[in-house]
Amino acid sequence: MGNGEKITGQELHDKVVESVKVIKNGPKVLNLYMDVCARCGTCAEVCPVYRGGPTELRNPVVRSDFIRGIYKKYMTTSGKFLGSAVGASDFDGDMKKWVDSFYECTGCRRCATYCPFGIDNSVITRKGRAIADATGYTPDTMKKVVKTSLETCNTDGASPEAFKASIEFLEEEMKDEHGIDIKIPVDVVGAEYFYVPPSGDVLVNPEATTGIAKVFYVLGMQDKWTMSSKCFDGANYGLFTGNDADMKADNKPYVEEAKRFGAKYMFMGECGHAYRIMKMMMEKGKWWGELPFKVINCMEWTADRIREGKLEFDKSKNPMPVTYHDPCNFGRSCGIVDDPREILNAACADFREMYPNRGENWCCGGGGGLSAMDDIRDFRMEVSSVKKMEQVKATGAKYVATACSNCKRQFMQLIETHKTDFAVGGVHDMLSRSILINGKAAERVDWEG
Amino acid sequence: MNDFIFMFLPYITLLVFVLGVIFRIRAWAKSPQPGKMTLFPATQGSEVPGVIKEALFFPSLFKGDKTLWSFSWIFHATLALIFIGHVRVFTDFPALWAALNINADNMSATSGGIAGILVMATLILLLLRRLAVGRVREISNLADYFALILVLAVIITGNMMRFSGHHFDLELTRAYFSSMLTFSFSSMAVPADSMFRAHFLLVQLLFIYIPFSKILHFGGIFFTQTLVKQS
Repeated sequence: MGNGEKITGQELHDKVVESVKVIKNGPKVLNLYMDVCARCGTCAEVCPVYRGGPTELRNPVVRSDFIRGIYKKYMTTSGKFLGSAVGASDFDGDMKKWVDSFYECTGCRRCATYCPFGIDNSVITRKGRAIADATGYTPDTMKKVVKTSLETCNTDGASPEAFKASIEFLEEEMKDEHGIDIKIPVDVVGAEYFYVPPSGDVLVNPEATTGIAKVFYVLGMQDKWTMSSKCFDGANYGLFTGNDADMKADNKPYVEEAKRFGAKYMFMGECGHAYRIMKMMMEKGKWWGELPFKVINCMEWTADRIREGKLEFDKSKNPMPVTYHDPCNFGRSCGIVDDPREILNAACADFREMYPNRGENWCCGGGGGLSAMDDIRDFRMEVSSVKKMEQVKATGAKYVATACSNCKRQFMQLIETHKTDFAVGGVHDMLSRSILINGKAAERVDWEG
Repeated sequence: MNDFIFMFLPYITLLVFVLGVIFRIRAWAKSPQPGKMTLFPATQGSEVPGVIKEALFFPSLFKGDKTLWSFSWIFHATLALIFIGHVRVFTDFPALWAALNINADNMSATSGGIAGILVMATLILLLLRRLAVGRVREISNLADYFALILVLAVIITGNMMRFSGHHFDLELTRAYFSSMLTFSFSSMAVPADSMFRAHFLLVQLLFIYIPFSKILHFGGIFFTQTLVKQS
C-alpha cells in the first residue's frame, strides 16, 4: 500500500514521469503496448464501458494514452522532436482525471481478445493504478479493502470466531436440508484439500460452500478437506490497485497455511481473480519457489467427478431457466469455461447459454475491483453493465449463476436498481440444491428464483 | 544534383530502414517479461501457427469488427501482392513465364492495375473511417493521418505511372537498379520519368519513417500475439 500521503505539484509530476519512463526496462508487454498500437478503435468497439456510455475518456486508447503519451514524450525519438503531432504529451498534473479514468476500466481484457495485436489494455490500466497507488491516489474505498485484508487476511475484516459461527450455521442448514451431519472441517492439519473461497461464499452467499461440502460428503472424503479460520478469503485487491507488494503480502499467509496443513491441493473456490492470482501468477511465476501443493479450482474438480459419474442430481429441484455468466478472470484469464457448464447442465433442468460467452463474454461491469466501489455505483449500474444486462435479458433466465463474488455483488445491485426478475448466485449453489445424498436431494423450498 | 540524390539516397534509406527496424525489434526482444499474460482461449505448445494465422488473416480483428477487417485485410493483402510484384522492377523471369505460357507484361498490367486500384480504394476507406467514426476520430492524431496520407501518395504516384498514359520504361528502371545493386556509379543512369522519381522518393520517405512510427506494428504483432494468446 502507498503510505497514504498524496503527493502534489512538481514532486507528483516527476514521480509519474519516472514511473512511466521505467517501462523501457520492461515488462515486455507494456513496452510493446507503448509502440505498436495502430489506433484502429477496435478495443472501443468491444469494450463494455465504452459501449455502455461512449465518451472520449472511456475510449480505451484515450485512457491508455495517459501513459503512452508520457512515454512517447520522454522515451521516443519521434515524440521528443515532434511532440503532440505523434501523440506525445506531458503529465498535466490532473491526478483526479487519471484515477477516475483508470478506475472506470474493469480490467476485463475483452479488448485483448479482439485487438489485432493482442494489446491488453488492462495491463496499462494496472500500471496507471500502480502509479496512482504510489503517489497516494488510490480511491479510499479500495485502500480500505486492501488495508483490511492485509490486517485480517480477509476483505470483510471478519474474525476467526465470526467465521466459525458462520460455518456452524451452515452445518445446521445442511442438517435441516438432509437430516444428516455434513461437516465443514476447519483448521485440520493433514487434510489433502485446503478450500479457499472468497469470504462472500461463507458470509454472504454461502450455498456454494455447502455445495462443496456435499460433494466431499458424497465422495466419502469428509476428512480429506479443510478450511482455515484464519485464511478464508482468496480475494486479493493488490491485483486491482496495481500494487505487487500488497498482492504478494496478501497472498503469502495462504501459501503458508497450505504448507502448515500439509495440503496436497490449494482448492480454490468460486472466485475468479483469487484463482487467477494463485494459478497464473503465484504458482506459474514461482513467487514462493517450488510448492508442496498444486493449485486447482473447485469447478474443474467437481466437473471431473460428474464426468466420472460419481455424483447424481435431481434436476427438478432447479426447474427455472439458468444461465452462466463467465467471470472474466475465470474465463478469459484462466480458461475455466467448460467445467461450470458441466456442473450446471448436470444440476439444472433448463440451462441456457448467453451470447457471446466463454472467452468472448461481456464483463458484468464490476470487474477490476470496481464492484466493491459504491462511490461509482451509478456508473456501474448505468454504464459498464449495459451490454451485460442486454445479454442476460435475452436468455430469459431466472437465475444467473456465476463463479465470482464481485460479479455477484454487481448483479445483486443491478437486480435491485433495475428491478429485474432474475436472481444471482454461484455454480455450486445450484449443485447444493439438487445433488442427491443417499438418493435424496435437499428438502427446502424457500429458495429465491 | 537531382541525380545525385537518386544515386545515393536509396542506400541511406535502406540503411536507416534496416538498422532502425533491427534496433526497435531488438529492444522489444531484450525487454524482460516476468510471466506470460495468457488470454483464453489459448493454444498450447508451439505458438508459431497461431501467430502466423494472426499475421496472415487477422482472425481476432475479424471477430471484433468485420467492416474494419474487410478494409484492412484487403488493403494489407493487396499491398503484400504489390510488394511482391515489384520484383519485376528489378529483374524478370522469362523462363518462368514461358513455362507457364504467360504473357508477363499483360498479366502484370491487369493484376497490377487491379491491385493498384484496390489498395488505393481500401486505403481511402480506412482514411474516411478514421474521419467519420467517432471512436476512431477521437484517438487519431497527426501521425495517424500522416501515415495514411504518405502511403496514399505512394500508391497514387504508383498508379499514375501505370494509368496516366505516359510511357514508363521498365527496361531503363531495371538497368538503374541493376547498377545500384552492383555499386556501378559510373554507368548508373537515373530514369528521367518524373512520376517514377516522385514515386521512388515518396517510397524512401516512407521507409525512413517506418522505424520511428506505428507502422512498425507489422513487426510488433509477432511479439504481442505470442505474449497473450499462448499458455
